[in-house]
Amino acid sequence: MAVPEKISVKDLNFYYGNFHALKNINLGIPDNHVTAFIGPSGCGKSTLLRTFNRMYQLYPKQVAKGEIILDGENVLDAKQDLNLLRAKVGMVFQKPTPFPMSIYDNIAFGIKLYENIKKTDLNDRVEWALRKAALWNEVKDKLDQSGTSLSGGQQQRLCIARGIAVKPEVLLLDEPCSALDPISTARIEELIHELKSDYTIVIVTHNMQQAARVSDYTAYMYLGELIEFGATDMMFTNPDRKETEDYITGKFG
Amino acid sequence: MIGLDKKRYFRRRAINAFNLTISMMAVVFALFFLTWILWTLVSNGLSHLGTSTFTQMTAPPGSQGGLLNAIAGSLLMVFMATIIGTPVGVLAGTYLAEFGRTGWLAPTTRFINDILLSAPSIVIGLFVYELIVRRMGHFSGWAGALALALIALPVVVRTTENMLQLVPNSLREAAAALGAPQWKVVVMVSYRAARAGMLTGMLLAVARISGETAPLLFTALNNQFWSSDLNSPMSSLAVIIFQFAMSPYEDWHYLAWGGALLITLFVLGLNVLARSIFRKNIGS
Repeated sequence: MAVPEKISVKDLNFYYGNFHALKNINLGIPDNHVTAFIGPSGCGKSTLLRTFNRMYQLYPKQVAKGEIILDGENVLDAKQDLNLLRAKVGMVFQKPTPFPMSIYDNIAFGIKLYENIKKTDLNDRVEWALRKAALWNEVKDKLDQSGTSLSGGQQQRLCIARGIAVKPEVLLLDEPCSALDPISTARIEELIHELKSDYTIVIVTHNMQQAARVSDYTAYMYLGELIEFGATDMMFTNPDRKETEDYITGKFG
Repeated sequence: MIGLDKKRYFRRRAINAFNLTISMMAVVFALFFLTWILWTLVSNGLSHLGTSTFTQMTAPPGSQGGLLNAIAGSLLMVFMATIIGTPVGVLAGTYLAEFGRTGWLAPTTRFINDILLSAPSIVIGLFVYELIVRRMGHFSGWAGALALALIALPVVVRTTENMLQLVPNSLREAAAALGAPQWKVVVMVSYRAARAGMLTGMLLAVARISGETAPLLFTALNNQFWSSDLNSPMSSLAVIIFQFAMSPYEDWHYLAWGGALLITLFVLGLNVLARSIFRKNIGS
């Protein structure tokens, strides 16, 4: 692969208690591109995504073994500072999760965690993030209203704005459009296109067309194993493996 | 309709009607006594409430008196108990819901808290009597406040934990995903999401302790005179009601009725307030 790897996954195994959820995953996530994880429910794509920022660590009994190298450092190392890692690897979830505070504070929350920032600069940054997420025009007159008062699609864009406001290097999207209508989905897909020049984006999706539309690379997973990984064009037109073809063409899954 | 078994259908309707009747009768039964209690209180108490109730001290039988010292004592001790009990309760509830996900400490604390929650209040009173009153050699408002705090504590712990557990994990994940340390997630996100419920819990705990009598009998005892000194025995509405209602004097009975109505109205007000706060915030 000509593109340098932002994240290199080496011999990754993941366990929910006794359940072996990820089996010997080896994968390189290309820098400043969009990578999609596809596969049937329960195949481990979200689990894999949640190892990149060690989200699983919030829960006891979830264990990852192996290596995930991000910028030369092993993310899974016990010495890794979790909060710094998560500031660097942002995440947007399946369901919109606006915090119970104003739209402005939703964005400012993450920024203020790590930056000693002047009020005017903070205002600029909030506006920048909301503009990036294509939400500014809709909320600029009601920044002091509660984030929960927005519609579902707006809430999800608010969450994306919140994620990019802290200027992470990697953005993890866990089925970001599954709760949204087609118009909101289209806006978020446009947004992904725009963001990929600055960020490395990994998206988990159940929607094959979406993977084809937004991603440069695609990984197909099944039962905790990585079946095939390659350029999206190749995966969708001429996959190496029979299983991938069956899934993509809808014969299976 | 194809395959409709009429017998089966009508049987199900009959069972439904029967169960509905039983549950409605249960509601009527409960409401009947509740209304009766309220009616008795209002009809006996209202006519004996006047300005003198709020301006004069409790007096010996036969002379004109009020409940001022008892009202002030109750308010002061309940206030102190709230100041002592709620912060500890909120912190303990926070630990149970947010931090104690592994290990033995949280389940043990939860278990003991449940015991404390159902402990008879007279036991708490005796405990504080042994702990403070006997060592200090006299009854005191502080002892009363502490006993009330110990009764409020498990209520606050329980409601705080329950309300925090209602906060969806996805919110905590979202905050953690921004790199927020756990204490910030709790303070900035979980507390905000659960604040209506937590506030409701505190108000209900206050309502609970404002009517407690048994723990005060052994701790604050009573005081016939005005006193705002928490180091000396202190009067309270609940104890006055107990004492005056048991007395043979008619005018003391009237004051007891008036006091009982006051406490009930206070508790009712707190409950209505708690409910309206909870509903307003859940609705938004």
